Parts: sequence; structure tokens; C-alpha cells
Amino acid sequence: MLGKLNKGEKCKIIDISRIDLLVRRRLLDLGITEGTEVCIKCYMPFGGPIMVESCGQCIGIRRVEAVQIEVERL
Amino acid sequence: MDIALIGNPNTGKTSLFNNLTGSYEYVGNWSGVTVEKKVGQFKNKKDKLIDLPGIYSLTPLSKDEGVVTQFLLSENVDKMINILDASQLERNLHLTIQLLEYGKPVVIGLNMMDVALKRGFQIEPNQLSNQIGIPLKPVIARTGKGCDMLAEAVTSERLPEPNARIVDYGKDIEEAILRFEKLFDNKPNQSTRWLALQMFEGNQYVIKYLENYIESEQLNQFLLEIKDAIKKSAGTSIDQFIFRKRKETINQIMTDAYIKREQIITPLSEKIDAIVTNKILGLPIFFLLMYLMFMLTFDWLGFPLSDLLDGFITGPLSQTIENLLQAAGASAFIHSLILDGIVAGVGGVLVFVPQIFILFFFISLLEDSGYMARVALVMDRLMEAVGLNGKAFIPMMIGFGCNVPGIMAARTIETPKERLLTILLTPLMSCSARLPVYALFVGAFFVQQKAFIVLSLYILGIAVALILAKLFSSTILKGETSFFVIELPPYRLPQFQALWRSTWDKGKGFVKKAGTFIFAGSVFIWLLSYIGPGGMDVALDDSYLAAIGGFIAPLFEPIGFNTWQAGASLITGFLAKEAIISTMNIIYFVPDEASLQGLLSDYFTPLAGYSFMVFILLYIPCLATVATIYKETGSKKWTAFSMVYALIAAYLLALIIYQGGKLLGFM
Repeated sequence: MLGKLNKGEKCKIIDISRIDLLVRRRLLDLGITEGTEVCIKCYMPFGGPIMVESCGQCIGIRRVEAVQIEVERL
Repeated sequence: MDIALIGNPNTGKTSLFNNLTGSYEYVGNWSGVTVEKKVGQFKNKKDKLIDLPGIYSLTPLSKDEGVVTQFLLSENVDKMINILDASQLERNLHLTIQLLEYGKPVVIGLNMMDVALKRGFQIEPNQLSNQIGIPLKPVIARTGKGCDMLAEAVTSERLPEPNARIVDYGKDIEEAILRFEKLFDNKPNQSTRWLALQMFEGNQYVIKYLENYIESEQLNQFLLEIKDAIKKSAGTSIDQFIFRKRKETINQIMTDAYIKREQIITPLSEKIDAIVTNKILGLPIFFLLMYLMFMLTFDWLGFPLSDLLDGFITGPLSQTIENLLQAAGASAFIHSLILDGIVAGVGGVLVFVPQIFILFFFISLLEDSGYMARVALVMDRLMEAVGLNGKAFIPMMIGFGCNVPGIMAARTIETPKERLLTILLTPLMSCSARLPVYALFVGAFFVQQKAFIVLSLYILGIAVALILAKLFSSTILKGETSFFVIELPPYRLPQFQALWRSTWDKGKGFVKKAGTFIFAGSVFIWLLSYIGPGGMDVALDDSYLAAIGGFIAPLFEPIGFNTWQAGASLITGFLAKEAIISTMNIIYFVPDEASLQGLLSDYFTPLAGYSFMVFILLYIPCLATVATIYKETGSKKWTAFSMVYALIAAYLLALIIYQGGKLLGFM
């Protein structure tokens, strides 16, 4: 799961179908979908959002959603 | 010709707009600076350019994005300029495809080639143009390079018909589109192919629009059939299917037109991010920046400048006016009207122009540099705890400048509940018009701890907003899931010119207001103080103003300021917060800021002064803000609520502070 990786690790998204429809739509808008490679940039404290980077752009998502994204380590 | 400017957020759209039209619009570097449709004129003086909010797709999630879809459905557009961020080309092309499907001629402005090159993408503009089949011009929107070529291309050339069938969606969908066309008795203005595809994607605006043409039952039936067919044949939902088909086409375009190099340099942006969004340092850095901003505005820089200006207005300027009046042989009435009414009222407000411009400068800097989106990220955890999301913090920060644009910026918040909550709470952010009141009172009572006292008021505003957010979201605005996905644009070195323009744009409203609203208000208040039941030129205590102020003054006894002067200035404060200062200047009848401060200590104790400031901070959104709340919520009920809850909160808090303070032995 995306929310379980360490800072600096790279992974490839394999399934985003479990997350909320709205969040998925917005992720699609930002070019994040199955097959996208992302890198974990940082975790905000106290269970706050995480920042991931993909193709040079950074995106912030909440951890609740991040743990619903299935990934494989690269 | 009406030409629409459309593109993703953070692609430099507003900069391009400014360069193409020569006029100035507000430029910012976070999603959603353009919250309303803006129209400018091309330099050829014939064609009009319409700036629209940044969108990722024509199927909207937030109200902000809905503006564009609604525009394409209801208004006439002849051509479109699609601005693309070259460094995020793949993502940006999804929108381009939808624009091509709309069927009107499109010209592409390809921005940020330099950023793309640094990331290791090499793009051949001509190749790309050939692949997409429409004209494409490289531009640098920030500096304006290439903009003339783009303007020429879009205004003068005969543009090729766009290839609306650039994506082949496969047999199921293509046949459904043909069947869909037959459902119409009379055809709408828009391309039916575009309408069909948007409907398949679940675009609620389009579905609603189509119900004007087709019975909703028939429409639903049709939609269900095609959704089922795709589910069966492809095993996915139709919107994902469409997305995938578009992506395939884009990948093809990319391979045919554009070479990707492997080596990538870590951009400076990521190095900065490693610090400012650091797990431990993120929040302290944010607070430190806020602290610096306040010290510069109120203490180190703004205060001495305001003092100088005050000296000028009350000294040489007043003297000159007085001499002129004397030379012209003005009557005592005119003399008093101009000096005691207008100069005192308007001058008292203008004195704070330096401080307000410094504040606006910093807000512009935060927006333009890209830090604002990081603030949203850093603050999300806290905001989530009170039932909001990090994005709600951006309208609030803008609200520090002025509540009106702050409330409008709430349109970028996707969920209606969080948006409403943000609209209701943004007026609690201490806007720049409240600043003169604080400056006056801290100057009178808290000279030693100026910046600290003012900062405490700003923080109090935020704290009350957060507490009320928690209260409202767990009572009257319960339910609905929260939502937070945010794009963090790369940092950009703000350009001085853009910063200055942005500061001026925000600040000029304040100056303009002083020249019009406050001017008229000052004359009116002076008149009320000049005449009374007993006739003209009465003693101040016998004036109409004293009668009106005195009528409500007893209500403020428990919170420390039972004087008709306070009552009267609170009433005018509803019109505009800085009118409080004008009113006080006029009724206390003093030549300058310093003597007003001296006089205030006769009417207020320091504790009552603080209580008064807290009351001013919260008590009611000003008239312009109330109008904006009504416009944005479209609800009389919520507009009334925004005024009533603020009044209650202000009174309660001032009561606690004043009575509590007295118990603790403060004066």
C-alpha cells in the first residue's frame, strides 16, 4: 500500500479502484492512475497528508486514501 | 470574436491573459486564483479574450470548475486558446482532447518549455502541432515571449477545423454516439459528440442541460444501456474506459512527436520542499514566516511609514488646506466640513495605506511563489480535525487581506459542506480594514507590545474560526465526506513586476474605497455630528450622532465600552471596518492620530480597549462581505446566519475577556 512505504521509496501503482470516486477522479486529473510511477516525498506529522511525486509534479493526498492505493515497490 | 482561454491550473494562464490583452489581471500560483470569468481585449482592439478558471477536465468536481462547463454550454465562443504546461504535457492533453471534441477552432500556447527541458523532455513544437492537427505556438507566459505570435495566430489566421474524432473510443461508444444524435428533435448548439462523451463521463452540468432536449427517463435509460455494455465488454466503468482510450491516443502522440531523455536533475523546487514541508520543521517555518510578516507590517517597516504619512497629512497637508480655505474666504460650515469631516475621516484611513500595502505584498508573495499550496498541505491535519480540509486555509489566508476575495476563493473547495463552512468562517479572519482600528488602539494602550497584541488578535480570529468549524461541522453541517487532494505547483521565483501589480491590484481597492465610500461616509457622519435636534452646529453630545450611538451604547456596558461614540462607530463599522476610524476621528474631533490616542484613554481602559478590538475583530462581516456571502451561498438563511453567529461570538468573547480580565485585576 502507498501509505506504508518509506520516505524516498519509489513504487508503481497497480490498483486505485478502492478509493472514493471523487478522490479517484481528481487523481486521474493529475495523471495518477494504474501504471503510474510515484515516489514518496514526505509524511506530514500527526497522521497528516503525504506528498508524492510523479513525473516531476508533486501531489498531496491524505493517508486514509493513500493506504487504499495498491502499489508494488520498484 | 469571443476567444476563450482554457487550461489546467498552474499553467500560467493568467500571465498569458495579461500579456495577450495588455490589461492587468490578478496572477497567482495556486489552483483557483481566477475565480470569476474575466474579459480582456486583444491588442488589435477587435477580439475579446475570456479568462476562465483553471480546470483539469470539462467534467467538473468543484464549483470553480463548473464555471467553465457552464460557460461552454450557455455562452457563445468562437475560438479557444488552450494553454499547455510542456512539463506536464500528458496530463494537459486530456483537456485538449475534450476541447477538440467540443468542435470549435483551438490554438495551443505551449508554455514552460524551459521547465520541460530541465526535466529532460525535448519537445519539437512543429511535430506536436502536426500530431494534434491544430496550430501550436511556444510561449513564455511570464515574460510575454512568443505571445504576439500566439495572438496573431488566433486572431488573424483562418484556423483549421479541429479533429473532433482524434480519439477512437471503440465500437460500443462510437455507435452509441450515433444513436444519441437521433434522440434529438431539435439539435442543440454544441457538438453532439462532445455532449455524448461528457454525459458518459458523468458530467452533471451536461446531463442537466440535455434534459432540456430529451426526456430525463429516456436519457437515463440510454445511459444505463451504454454503461452496461462497457461494463460487459471492457470490465470497467465507462468514465475509466474513456480516460484509458484518451490516454492511449496521448501516448501515441507523445511517442510520435516528443523525445524523452532519461537524465533528470533534481529541481530546486524539491530541495526547498524538503525543508518547508519537513515533518518537524514544516509548521514552525510557517509560523516563523507569519511572524516575520506581522513584524514587518506592524512594527519594523509599516509603523514608521504610517507615522510619516500621518505627520504629513495632519501637518503640511492640513495646513495647506486651511490656508487655501482662508484665502478663499470659506464659511465656517465649509471649513468644518472639509477639515473636521473629510480630512479627518479620509485622512485617518489613508494613513494606514503603507501597512496595508506591505501586508498585501506578502500575501501576493505567498501566492505567487507557490508556497500557499504547501500551507494547505501543512495545515490539512489540523483542519481535518475540525471538519475542514487544508484547502480551506487558502481562502482564510487571502481573507487576511480582504474577506471578499477570500470567500470567492472558497470555490476551489470540492465538497459543498466544506465550502459553505469556509465561506461562513472566512469573515473571522482579520482583514486589512480592521488593521487601522488595532493600530489606533495599540498605539494608545499597548505601545510596548504593539506587534504582539495585534498578532494575538489575528490568532484569536483563527482560533475562533477553528472552534466554530468544529462546532458547526458536528452539529448543523454534519455528514458528507471530507476530500483532500492537492497539486503542489513548483516554486517559481516571483517576478517583481507581477508582485507589484498584484499588490497594487489588491491595495487599490482600499485606496479607492477611501476616496469614495469613506469620503461620502465621512461627510455624512460629520453632518450627523454637526446637526442635532436643536439645530445646526450643536455641541457634539447633543447631535443626532450622539443620540443614535447613545441608543445602543448601554448594550455594551457589560463588555466595557458604554459610550455613544463607541456605539456610533460600531454602526458605521458595518458599512466598512475602516469607517470606525473615520467616525472616531470625526467625533473625538482631534487633528491627528496621536492626540486621538491620548484622548482615547479618557474613554477606554486598556482592558476595555482590548475588549473593543476583539469585538471589532468578530462582530459582523462588513457590507461588501455580506453581499459576497449571499452571492456565493445563494441563501438568505446562511447569510443571516453568518451575521448572527458572528455577533453572538463577538459579544460572548468580549464579555469573557472584559469580565474575566476585571476579575484577574487588569484595568
